Amino acid sequence: MPESRTAPRRTRRVVADEAPLARIDALTFLGASFVLALVSGLTVPNPLRGWLSDGDRRQRLTVTTVAAAGDAAILLLGGGRRPLVTPLTGSIELERADGRTVLVEPVTVAAANVPPEQLGMRMRDAFDAAARADVQERILGRVARTTGTLSDAGNAVAALYEASRERLPAPTGGGAAAYAAHVDGFWRVDGSSYYVEGWAFDRDAQLRSLRLVTPAGRRAELLREAFRYSRPDVCAHFGVPETERLGFIAFIELPEACASDSGWVLQGELSDGGGFEIEVPSATDHPLAVRTTVLNDVELDTGDGRLLRTHIAPALTRLQRRFAASVTVEAVDQYGTPPTDPEVSIVVPLYRRTEFLEHQLAQFVHDSEIHGADLIYVLDSPEEAARLRRFARHLHELYGVPFRLATLSENGGYSTANNLGASLARGRKLLLLNSDVLPARPGWLSRMVEFYDANPRIGALAPKLLYEDDSIQHAGMRFDRNLECVGEVGWWNEHFYKGLHRRFEPANVSRAVPAVTGACLLVDAELFRGLGGLRGIYVRGDYEDSDLCLRLREQGRESWYQADVELYHLEGQSYPSPERAAASRYNQWLHSDVWRTEISALEGVT
Amino acid sequence: MAERPTVLFICHNHPSVRPGGAEAYALELHRHLVAAGDVRSVFLAKGGPPLAPAGRVHLGTYVAPVDDRPDEYFFFTEEWIYDWTFGTIRYDKQPYTKHFRAFLEAIQPDVVHLQHTMFFGYDILREIKNTCPNAAIVYTLHEFMPICHRQGQMLRATDDTPCMQESPRRCNECFPEIDQQTFFLRKRFVQSHMEVVDRFIAPSRFLGERYVDWGLPAEKVTVEEYGRTPPAGEAAIQPRRHRDRFGFFGQLTPFKGLQVVLEAIIELHGASAGQDPLLAALERAAAPQPASAGGVEDAEPQPHVRVHGANLDLQPGQFQNRIAELLERAGDHVTFIGAYDHDDLHAYMEEVDWVIIPSIWWENSPLVIQEAFHFGRPVIASDIGGMAEKVTHEVDGLHFRANDPTSLAATMRRAATEPGLWERLHGGIRPVYRMEEHVQWLSELYQQLLNGKVVAHA
Repeated sequence: MPESRTAPRRTRRVVADEAPLARIDALTFLGASFVLALVSGLTVPNPLRGWLSDGDRRQRLTVTTVAAAGDAAILLLGGGRRPLVTPLTGSIELERADGRTVLVEPVTVAAANVPPEQLGMRMRDAFDAAARADVQERILGRVARTTGTLSDAGNAVAALYEASRERLPAPTGGGAAAYAAHVDGFWRVDGSSYYVEGWAFDRDAQLRSLRLVTPAGRRAELLREAFRYSRPDVCAHFGVPETERLGFIAFIELPEACASDSGWVLQGELSDGGGFEIEVPSATDHPLAVRTTVLNDVELDTGDGRLLRTHIAPALTRLQRRFAASVTVEAVDQYGTPPTDPEVSIVVPLYRRTEFLEHQLAQFVHDSEIHGADLIYVLDSPEEAARLRRFARHLHELYGVPFRLATLSENGGYSTANNLGASLARGRKLLLLNSDVLPARPGWLSRMVEFYDANPRIGALAPKLLYEDDSIQHAGMRFDRNLECVGEVGWWNEHFYKGLHRRFEPANVSRAVPAVTGACLLVDAELFRGLGGLRGIYVRGDYEDSDLCLRLREQGRESWYQADVELYHLEGQSYPSPERAAASRYNQWLHSDVWRTEISALEGVT
Repeated sequence: MAERPTVLFICHNHPSVRPGGAEAYALELHRHLVAAGDVRSVFLAKGGPPLAPAGRVHLGTYVAPVDDRPDEYFFFTEEWIYDWTFGTIRYDKQPYTKHFRAFLEAIQPDVVHLQHTMFFGYDILREIKNTCPNAAIVYTLHEFMPICHRQGQMLRATDDTPCMQESPRRCNECFPEIDQQTFFLRKRFVQSHMEVVDRFIAPSRFLGERYVDWGLPAEKVTVEEYGRTPPAGEAAIQPRRHRDRFGFFGQLTPFKGLQVVLEAIIELHGASAGQDPLLAALERAAAPQPASAGGVEDAEPQPHVRVHGANLDLQPGQFQNRIAELLERAGDHVTFIGAYDHDDLHAYMEEVDWVIIPSIWWENSPLVIQEAFHFGRPVIASDIGGMAEKVTHEVDGLHFRANDPTSLAATMRRAATEPGLWERLHGGIRPVYRMEEHVQWLSELYQQLLNGKVVAHA
């Protein structure tokens, strides 16, 4: 789009004490929105502005000085929010921001335009290595400032860096070397962050900097930031004691998105001015694989939570966000006539053990209140979609209970499945229900709604849940000290009176409790949505219920246990896989870390 | 009640395919109703494998007449997968919602009287309610299959002792491969479907009480004995010095306790476990009295057992071997008759003085007891469950400690030797409940259910 502004052509006025004309020696385009210009003879300080003229059209340019040394300067010119117009046929001039013209020989763009590599090489003549590295990062920051990405400038920026950067030698010397490093694994977490594991050896404590560098020249310092741990195998190779913590783990977050997974290097800078670099393998972009790797590192935390807080949690939080964003509702099947204006929407995630659909319907058939509720099943194991969608038709034909079956595009996990189910809900209240929960008798839903409506302080309400042998599975939730937590001492979620007889008297009192289970949880729908639903930071499900209750508490809402309503909860007894166990340990720590203050207050611990 | 209301009987088997007590009674009931003419009676039995070799033949239908009569049908289920733990057809509910529904819509029953849901699945109850919402649904309970996964016997698989109470834990102890939660789900599933039943009929008080304990509403459970058409023929009672002939009549399953009788007769004749049967035979040969095969009067009582029953070939190999071994050791003291025709029962009854019913499970209301009484034979029964209820000790029979060959041997000795005992017990036998009365009672029940009233049978 032409013309950012029409302004009368200014007459060039040469002021007597002004410096002689400066010259644009060369320029290159970084995408469609930026021009990088090598300028000589520029002695006037910032701020500057520029004009790109082509016949009658003039486009205002922002000017950023990214380097100045002696006679030479590097300027980054941008079209503001607009791409540059007809650049190749125009000419560029610069002026002082106060409007007094700075003399720059007008240069037709075509004449000065060179490919980015050439400009990069010319930068080598004018600036030293350190200066060039800084220049590169300034360019990145400026180019990505509005969108957080390099967008179409990426290739040019990378080519510029490739030509202008200082290459360092590879480390040598084998086991006798004075210094060496290696990247064992490199994974992409999301658009602008990565996770790296490797080791670095520095026999005489010479290293001043250890950094990953992107193909575009962005540096990520590891030396002080990374988590260091013992690598006996590496120590043995270099003949140093095993107490040397040569391994490193780091979560890297870049200021701007990085499009390229390959071409990274790991550089070391030594106190004597020397340095080295090694190639970094291409980053693996496989979210599930990264998540497994990161979860396996949970074990390595030394008990102060630093690894968890600085590296693992940020990586997993971003991964979880990435997972959640990719899951959508792929299909919704309606069985029977949905109720108009339902009070309650019942959301039931189904994962793998889909036979519970049949068992729930065989109980719901007797309850007119469920026939009148907005019942939504969410299939979170979509590989079973074809079979289950067909079988759901059969079950509806036999039982007649109206419901919807929403199929997800992929496995999203407990919080995503519930949140997506809630997004389809039409009721004023939400009842989150596990698939392995069966009512003891009909009429439970209205009793819960009555209880909830009678007490405006309630945010979350859950009833008594029983095991198959009629003993108590849930009668409200509390928190207990967890001495086995990774990181610092944390908190377990415990159920009051779990395992005791259903008629145990203290368990038969309805009351406010620190938190309640998500297996059967009634919450106002607007309240739930206002909080953003269940939080997806926990890996594979766990603690979302207490997390919700504690967030409700922050809003001044209580969690209540209702003793006179009973359902059965056939809590799974499967022993966790190693992956599940690792996720559990992380979730425990995360929940404890996020809520340490609040839980301590609730449980009366200073 | 409407003119000529329609009653639909549902059963797991037709007696022409395989013999069995419940199906024999059910068919008898149906044919009696057909003969009487006041109701239109239809009998639907599960047909085809595994009980019969041939299954469904015609495309587009899952029913076929049993023979050339318009009131008895097979329903074929072999093409679907039957889950024995839950009692339901898996993965496909169209057997109920399409195929069985078509039959219901054609027959339009006013009363559906189930004898069993085996092979059909409990879901059939829900389908009946859906399609025939105004029909009265009656369910006769023949054993404990809805309660107990061990073939409805309520007999612990851990040690073969009778079980009074199911629970997820106890059932898992009997079947460790099935977890407690599955048993919980099973019970909820079965009871959900049973909720549509208007009336349960329990042929014995004992059985009815177990079902009420299990969770059926007491007001829905009525105790009512099986009505019987008397078996054909006479079984004369001739004077004998010793009433020492004992008969066992029944399916040869481990639960029916034939092994207890065989061990008792062995013990009675002194050949205890471990004694060489050949040695025992030589000892007898050395003694003056010859062994008796019954029928010939002896100076001393010679207890002898006659075994009548079928389906030994269907039992686990271990049991078949054990019976074979016991028969061998019992030698001449046992006559193995095997399968028999029900019409010939009178002839077999004539050859015995006593009928032994030694079941190790509770039993409900064994038809054999009624048959024995009809022929004037006192009954020696295990002292548990329906047997102890239907046979009154020292009145029309004797009890012995269940599953205890020594106790049975002592009882048999007493039965064979005590003067006047047999006559007194024979005199104590009351008339057998007849089919006519039973049908009368049932018809009143159907009517009252259809009218929405509750019947309590004195």
